[in-house]
Amino acid sequence: MSDKTRNILLRKLLLRNNSKGRLWAAMIALFVGNTLLLLSVLIWWNFNELLYGKTENDSLGSTFLIIGKKVTNSNMGQPGATLFTPADVDSVNKAPQVQSVGAIVSNHFPVYAMMGGDMGFATDLPLESVPDRFLDSKPADWDWQPGSRDLPIIMSSQFLDLYNYVFAPSQGLPQLSESSVKSLALNVKAGPPDMAETYTAHVVGFSDRIGSVLVPQAFIDYGNQKYGKQGSGVAPSQLILKTKDPSDIKFTEFIQRKNYTTNSQNLRWSRIRAIVEVVASATGVLALLLMGIGTLVFVLFIELTIAKAHQSLTLLKEIGYSPGYLSGFMVKRFVPLVLVVVIFSAGITVGVQVVAADMAKAQGLALHTLPGLPLWAALTVSTGILLVLVVRSITGAIRE
Amino acid sequence: MQLSLHQLVPLPLREKIAGRSSGIWEGDLVLNEKDHVFIKAPSGTGKTTLIHMLYGMRDDYEGTVKWDNLEMKRGSAAEISQLRTKDVSVIFQDMRLFPELTAWENLDIKRRLTNTITAQQVTNWMDELGVADKRLSLARKLSYGEQQRVAIIRALLQPFKWLLMDEPFSHLDHVNIAKATKLISEVVKQNNAGMILADLDDNNFFPYTQTIVL
Repeated sequence: MSDKTRNILLRKLLLRNNSKGRLWAAMIALFVGNTLLLLSVLIWWNFNELLYGKTENDSLGSTFLIIGKKVTNSNMGQPGATLFTPADVDSVNKAPQVQSVGAIVSNHFPVYAMMGGDMGFATDLPLESVPDRFLDSKPADWDWQPGSRDLPIIMSSQFLDLYNYVFAPSQGLPQLSESSVKSLALNVKAGPPDMAETYTAHVVGFSDRIGSVLVPQAFIDYGNQKYGKQGSGVAPSQLILKTKDPSDIKFTEFIQRKNYTTNSQNLRWSRIRAIVEVVASATGVLALLLMGIGTLVFVLFIELTIAKAHQSLTLLKEIGYSPGYLSGFMVKRFVPLVLVVVIFSAGITVGVQVVAADMAKAQGLALHTLPGLPLWAALTVSTGILLVLVVRSITGAIRE
Repeated sequence: MQLSLHQLVPLPLREKIAGRSSGIWEGDLVLNEKDHVFIKAPSGTGKTTLIHMLYGMRDDYEGTVKWDNLEMKRGSAAEISQLRTKDVSVIFQDMRLFPELTAWENLDIKRRLTNTITAQQVTNWMDELGVADKRLSLARKLSYGEQQRVAIIRALLQPFKWLLMDEPFSHLDHVNIAKATKLISEVVKQNNAGMILADLDDNNFFPYTQTIVL
């Protein structure tokens, strides 16, 4: 049935009254609506990935809190009163907003750090360990096994700041960069004097999250078992919590009721997240609205085109052209326009994602370079709905 | 192909035809294949209404119009289009050409629907009816007589079993009527078809097998 001349004649009869300006306006309206819809899905998806995804942007999505039992006048004399019992841990685990709980276990055996041999600088070194999943980022050589003489350390970046900005200037000592600290080796003596073992410790990373000196959990467990006093056990003195939204009143009530201490500074992330969620959903609503308007404009343009060609359509039907054939002719003219718009929108959205991923990388955030499944799903669904509406409006208008 | 009319009453003419005797309205009529039927219809008796009903262009009537087993009021859009391209062709009283297309394009758009008549054939027929020189003129610029001749040729550009004609020669002189009837007769014969011609007054354009007064 494909016949070039016939199509030329049909175009002359049915599409000649089309104003180019209106066609462009309709396509632009559709394009703007469609692009905004895709972009809002993209924004939503990116934040979702950042906040709840499995990329290395954990600290954005969840707030890490360290809680301890408050030291009061009534419990300050009792050893072990501020340790967390398994029942305590269990109740924290079940508290609102808590996603994960880790025990911060400290060394229950003597540890000394020495620099520059026996004559140099030596100090008691309190160590702690947390489960690896609570680290900001896990250094490559974060590993210790019994028998190993090398002990990796993660140091709180606050310590380095304290040294560089407070201690070093006041003592006339040189300031140290992170990499220079990492290159230093210090000797660590662990255990009571009669059975102490010596290790070579290296700082392998710095943490913003935890304000102490961390070693692999295996080392603390080993030391506590080998040198620790019987009965002191390995009960954690502090817990580290991964929480979804610590600003939730139910969570803060829980903390207060249990008389736990925590660091409320960490609440800032949850506020930013709340704002982002409001912005993302507002964009989404706006985009849906604009997509609706864009679609309406385009469909009305089609219906106007058909209404203008009403006389020709009637006569064509009278000389034997079937409504089905005429609808097919119109669909073949309009659907490619829809597809062009959709392809352009999708192209722009992919471009935005590529640029955004690049910019985010400079900010230290890992975004996917290409949009993920939700975007393609949104694209498919919106295109599907659009095509159905276009085809229905054409067949409906021609049948009339 | 048989045409059966049963108890037809066009709603807008209900009062006008009540009590009048008519060979078609409110009666039963069967027209057989290849019949050449003349419907004599004085003004206002519903001639054009009848042609439009037969062609499926209106359904504001009571009774039934059936082409073989296809009842026009119940037929789907596709079935009616099929009927109009294969079985029944029409010459409208008001010509109904596309004013924005040329004479040739008006014929071509019909011809290419079925592709059963060659372009050369169309050219010959235009020649025969004296409108070959109007080939590239827009239909709206043609005189009524020229438009009518183009409309006649258009009706012949498809296979048909019945040709409906509604005052087909109202704008033509005797010479042109003779040329047109000759052409129509030839093509109707080629198609082995019947015809229904509706007009105001008696005529002998074709050898009718039946005359009905509307």
